[in-house]
Amino acid sequence: MSDSMIEQSVARIFADNVDKAVLQAVEGGAFADRLWSLVTDSGFHVAVASEAQGGIGQTWGAAYPILRGLGYWQVPVPLAETMIGACLLSAAGIEIPEGPIALIEQGHDSTLTVQGIGGAQTISGRAKRVAWARHSPTAVVSLAGGALALVDLREPGTTHATARPNHARIPSDDLVFESARVLALADVSIAGLSLPVWTLGAMARSAMMVGALEWLLEQSVQYANDRVQFGRPIGKNQAIQQQLALMAGDVAAARVAATVAANDAASPAQLDASRTAFSAAVAKSRVGEAATRGTSIAHQVHGAIGFTHEHLLHFATRRVWTWREEFGADSWWAERLGRAAISARSEAFWPALTDRHYQGGLT
Amino acid sequence: MQELNIIPGTLPPECEALRMEVREFVAKELGDFPLARRVRNWTGGDPDFSRKLAAKGWIGMTWPKDYGGHERSTLERYVVLEELLQAGAPVGMHWVADRQSGPLLMRYSPKVLAPRLVPAIARGELFFCIGMSEPDSGSDLASIRTKATRIGDEWSITGRKVWTSGAHNKHYMIALVRTSEGSQRQGGVSQLLVDMKTPGITVRPIVNQLGEHDFNEVTFDDVRVPAENLIGEEGEGWKQVGAELAYERAGPERYLSSTQLLKEMIDEANPQDPRQAVALGRVVAQYATLRQMSLGVATMLAQGLTPGLAASVVKDQGALVEQAMPDLAHDLFGGLAEPGSPLDLAMRYTAMAAPSFSLRGGTREILRGIIAKGLGLR
Repeated sequence: MSDSMIEQSVARIFADNVDKAVLQAVEGGAFADRLWSLVTDSGFHVAVASEAQGGIGQTWGAAYPILRGLGYWQVPVPLAETMIGACLLSAAGIEIPEGPIALIEQGHDSTLTVQGIGGAQTISGRAKRVAWARHSPTAVVSLAGGALALVDLREPGTTHATARPNHARIPSDDLVFESARVLALADVSIAGLSLPVWTLGAMARSAMMVGALEWLLEQSVQYANDRVQFGRPIGKNQAIQQQLALMAGDVAAARVAATVAANDAASPAQLDASRTAFSAAVAKSRVGEAATRGTSIAHQVHGAIGFTHEHLLHFATRRVWTWREEFGADSWWAERLGRAAISARSEAFWPALTDRHYQGGLT
Repeated sequence: MQELNIIPGTLPPECEALRMEVREFVAKELGDFPLARRVRNWTGGDPDFSRKLAAKGWIGMTWPKDYGGHERSTLERYVVLEELLQAGAPVGMHWVADRQSGPLLMRYSPKVLAPRLVPAIARGELFFCIGMSEPDSGSDLASIRTKATRIGDEWSITGRKVWTSGAHNKHYMIALVRTSEGSQRQGGVSQLLVDMKTPGITVRPIVNQLGEHDFNEVTFDDVRVPAENLIGEEGEGWKQVGAELAYERAGPERYLSSTQLLKEMIDEANPQDPRQAVALGRVVAQYATLRQMSLGVATMLAQGLTPGLAASVVKDQGALVEQAMPDLAHDLFGGLAEPGSPLDLAMRYTAMAAPSFSLRGGTREILRGIIAKGLGLR
């Protein structure tokens, strides 16, 4: 698939098949089976998985339009999670299971231990805020030390889920594992890729937020041109123009940060992970800031109508507020980046910007 | 909105080799360059440093060899600029000539003025200032009143320019003047080359709030310049200035003015202090993003695109980040920095300089007006 082919099929599938009815049904607890089938029929879920494991073998940079599209059209399926799960499983040489894949990073929003040896391991402990867990037959757990476990979430009595509410009203669960079965365990064979779930998750959420922010900006400009008050469109007011120009600048910055993070993200097709963490941290921090300011401006421009349930605005703003929190909030990534910068001292500041890498990584 | 889409650029390998060469040069030449001068960044100048850069072939890098240039790529030039700026190198003497005056002369007076002046610019010997703003014409540049009247084979200039950086220590000014009697707004304005030693020019310092002399008021009283000093077509000055401002807004200097203060904060901070780590980490993310945006614009320019809107966005975003530095320093270290310490010095200088970042080269409000139009707001 070429870039523009991906873009075209993303637009075709997402634009025609996501509407308010689907969004409301999913927020009411349903799973969008038809949408999920369309997405998996197109191969999006294995776009970045290796060809050896039945994937398409794309880079994250090439798959960026898919992630961005999830935000732009507010697509309510666990596609980003499954793309990351399939990418990591294929890198570890583990067969990609059917269905959505949930994501867990050991030690981050989770406390987990693996027991047993050989082919009979189990996992026990807790994981918080696991997106889409109740709809996912399996979870990928990234373990400290670089191994990856594929965990069965459907075996009776071993996984207990409690719904965890969020702004987006997208399914998210707190999980308790009691000797849940580990279906496969192997090392992720991408050297230097630390915290793979959270790092790729932060990259993906950044791209999704950018998509949603681009949609919010377009809607806000349209509304400002259409809405007439005092005998003229409100967009003629400099006060409104200055706000939207600021938002456009933030969105442009966020887009660049998210694009670079995708280009730098490691995958079976791009084994160099030296820039992955730095660029993901930059993106989650910078896009998070754009999300904070941008959602505020979009709501302000839309006035009271944007505050109604009837209007579509909140489907995007609520998602952005949830994505801003997931896989490490902007402040969490900023702290890691800041610690690395301070530890490396000022002489390393500029080389880190040109290399997109801190010696010693982010800790 | 497509125009606001900045495509991240990738530098070719020769740029990275050049980067290492510039870093070596900077380490050697500026190893003991005091912080008090580094903080001034591209507003600080040193003719000797300019000549050393020229000797390396780093002024007029992209210009044709016929004009004394070096025919390097625009991305190679970009790498040299960003490396010099981040180090706080004193590039102020040749900055304007290298960025806009040289290109303007080669484009609009390729046979007359450029052969005479551009090689000396490339040698780091000839420095330029810009005569645009006037006492009653700031953001509203089209309202300028300084006039030039054709008398025989000369132009006679009468009027006044203000906020002219370096009028007191640069050799030439490129002045925007009204050449057509009774003309209004954008019509009837032209660009003239003025030797600053010409009789009738009075340069009066305007000391800024830092107590420094950079700005000037320049009065023209029947200043005579040869007819051939007209740059480009008579009456086409507005269009030419537009192209010049695009150069002025697109460069990495638009986000690398507060870098020395950030470096001092990094050295003063404690990695185990979460408040400092979060705050400085956010700033690192902002700078990393701005650098990618700026490089993206440079790459688009190198591909022959005209990312005018994108350049305005980078300048607006750059000024926001840069101006937040002194406030952040105050937040993290206010009242704590040892008086006279490097951090204290950088804080005091940058706090005083920062208000200018969203004024020079187009105010924040003007830039956002341009961006709003680009968004399709009518």
